[in-house]
Amino acid sequence: MSTAPRLSTPVLRSLRIFSRRAVYWGQRSCYHSYEHPQPPPFPPAESAILSAALSHVPNHGFTSTALKLGAQDAGYLDVSTNLLPRGVFDLVNYHLVTQRLALRHAVQFPAEGQPGRPGVGAKVRALTLARLRANGPILHRWQEALAIMAQPSYVPASLAELARLADEIWFLAGDTTVDFNWYTKRASLSAIYSASEVYMTQDTSANYVETEQFLDTRLADVMRMGSMLSGVGQWVDYTGHSAVNVLRSKGVRI
Amino acid sequence: MSAAQAPRSLFGGQICREARRRAARCPHRSFSSTTRYTQQQPPPSRNPQDAPGTTHFGFETVPESAKEQKVAGVFSSVAGSYDAMNDFMSLGIHRLWKDHFVRNLNPGRNPLTSSPSSPQGWNILDIAGGTGDIAFRMLDHASTINNDAHTKVTVADINPDMLAEGRKRALATPYARSPRLNFIEANAEKLDMIPDNSVDLYTVAFGIRNFTHKDVALREAYRVLKPGGVFACLEFSKVNNALFDTVYKRWSFSAIPLIGQLVAGDRDSYQYLVESIERFPSQTEFRDMIKDAGFLVPGQGWEDLSLGIAAIHKGVKPAAPK
Amino acid sequence: MATVRRTARALMYSTRARQVFTVPEYLAPSTIFHQQCSRFHNTGAPTPPHSTQIPANEDAPSSSSTSSEKPQTSKTPSQPFTKAQSDFLSSALRVNQAGELAATLIYTAQTPPIVRAHPHLRPLMKHMYDQEAGHLTYFNSLLAKHRIRPTAMYPVWQVAATALGWGTAIMGREVAMACTEAVETEIGEHYNEQVRVLLDWADKMEARGEGLGEELTQMIGKLRRIRDEELEHLDHAVEHDAKEAKPYEVLTNVIRGGCRTAIWISEKV
Repeated sequence: MSTAPRLSTPVLRSLRIFSRRAVYWGQRSCYHSYEHPQPPPFPPAESAILSAALSHVPNHGFTSTALKLGAQDAGYLDVSTNLLPRGVFDLVNYHLVTQRLALRHAVQFPAEGQPGRPGVGAKVRALTLARLRANGPILHRWQEALAIMAQPSYVPASLAELARLADEIWFLAGDTTVDFNWYTKRASLSAIYSASEVYMTQDTSANYVETEQFLDTRLADVMRMGSMLSGVGQWVDYTGHSAVNVLRSKGVRI
Repeated sequence: MSAAQAPRSLFGGQICREARRRAARCPHRSFSSTTRYTQQQPPPSRNPQDAPGTTHFGFETVPESAKEQKVAGVFSSVAGSYDAMNDFMSLGIHRLWKDHFVRNLNPGRNPLTSSPSSPQGWNILDIAGGTGDIAFRMLDHASTINNDAHTKVTVADINPDMLAEGRKRALATPYARSPRLNFIEANAEKLDMIPDNSVDLYTVAFGIRNFTHKDVALREAYRVLKPGGVFACLEFSKVNNALFDTVYKRWSFSAIPLIGQLVAGDRDSYQYLVESIERFPSQTEFRDMIKDAGFLVPGQGWEDLSLGIAAIHKGVKPAAPK
Repeated sequence: MATVRRTARALMYSTRARQVFTVPEYLAPSTIFHQQCSRFHNTGAPTPPHSTQIPANEDAPSSSSTSSEKPQTSKTPSQPFTKAQSDFLSSALRVNQAGELAATLIYTAQTPPIVRAHPHLRPLMKHMYDQEAGHLTYFNSLLAKHRIRPTAMYPVWQVAATALGWGTAIMGREVAMACTEAVETEIGEHYNEQVRVLLDWADKMEARGEGLGEELTQMIGKLRRIRDEELEHLDHAVEHDAKEAKPYEVLTNVIRGGCRTAIWISEKV
């Protein structure tokens, strides 16, 4: 056996593993079936511990103490919190995922064809606001959660969850864009949401009126920017087509 | 043997090694006298149930009854130089892994943040922990991080020489004469002296690969753990980067036995250790064994350390919901 | 005239298509053949827009042939998709959308130069464009409904497809047709593979005692129709002297290689 094949196979294999990982990261949004049942977001034991722990967050914050108290409430031991490999981040993540999934039921719009049906923009605003308000009960602890999410090893998971939230909001608002704007819409909503979320932690106004205003301003900015960009796009498209047509009318064979 | 001759095909390499060893060194230590027998055997398969009544000792197939003795032989002979051995095997970072293992488990009940009605301290069982490496770290963590003066560790090992080494080292710690630390000689497959549902945390660090019946040991762990209790295992595992795997295999198969021979004058014990690591099931296989014993596994079921040279596997005994 | 064309089609199948499309006819039977004659009668007149287009609406009744072929829709699936299955569906539909987007843009860019040089090709180009636009509408609706992200290379494919369509049209009718032939061969092959995988799932689910479900059964039917329409474009391209293009081999191989690369990339990003 020569050295070359001995070494080349592992090299190839590690390349293949690498590309498989790249594929995994590339495919976060997956086929959403209406007929096949959806698997539950968390296994039952984790779900029991985490939901019990969440009720201790207002008093103890996003800490391992809240997790341990939650485990005891759910009939487990202190040591059972080892069931959560990412510790307190799993608690934060549980809050994020359950609130994202609750959005579907939290906000109801009038059915298709009824008068007073809001447009997509108004729906996005209503859904974003509803999601922000869902942080209300634990708002005084939310900066802890933001700090945990900003830890380097959790940043990818936090960003992925933010992207899923933006996707959920656009989907529930009935947006059917499937061109490149799919990305720009989600990216801008993610940016607006996270900025508003941070703003809200400092908001002391009644019923978070200031956060609402902040959100409206950001949304208006993006709308203005978006219409400006699409205006530029249309202009380029129009000019290009006219130029081609003028040339063709002059007999240029293009 | 030079590093360049390290085997890629393990069986082929084994034949060469055995042949070279036969030429170079006679007589054999007792348990390597099966050389000729091994040579005539088909290549060792990964199936633990090759033939009824036999098991693996490194790459050798031996009667089940003999494995325990042979393992005892290895550890009796290396008890004194145990740390040196682990340093070679892990390129010196086993201390960091053990620190991480303990910090991650976060043993101890903090009296400031837990309800006063709940029982004090954890009951930890450290299997195959003869030298007390894990036990001392657990107690230190509980006392200094969690202000818990009640957590107890029971160190169990099948090998009296390793236990003696642990007792000797305990003298240098504050736990030598405290009721928080005790040593028992026990087989992990038959922990009769430990009652059902009595242990919070069952740990086994660099030990489980030497067990004759890993599944039996896992079921015994499940029995002694309280509902909600945790099984945690730190063990050498499979390197998940193929390129690094090649390098690491070369290191472990060629250099380690050589170093063992030079430093401890005991090549065969080190040869066994390398082979037993290679034999140990992969991360996913071992995770499935833990699941089969009835445990819930957190997340994917394990955490790789240093690209998979070692891995931490955990399992939680399910509790009936309140 | 229709007879001549059908002979040409049969010939085509015997020469290259059979080796390219590895799926036996009984597994993924053609659904369009019986409609061919009626379509060919009105090729002389301009085809009304979206005449043979597939209804974009999911709820619209699918072609009668599919529902009669697979009477397994009564049972519904009881298990969630595996990770591999939903990954397959997402990447397959994402590629399909990108492919149809490219196809509409290729025809859009080809039409003006081709029609000016050969005015009699106007109805054919319009017919092919209309079908592709129908396919694109269908996949757009599927992506929105099933929450699949479009390919991140969307703008790149837009530019590349327009450039390909325009470039080949400038080089003349034969080259444009060779381009159509190459593209449609790759796309047809790609759809065939998808239909084969979905039918394989159907068999496995039936063995477990559950049906594939209305969603996927309809999708299989539509994928087959779309594939057959793509193959029809392939036929048209060959009828219009695609093989006369110079240098034929180089052109088709380059374009097919490009298509395969684009499919591979779109599956991933």
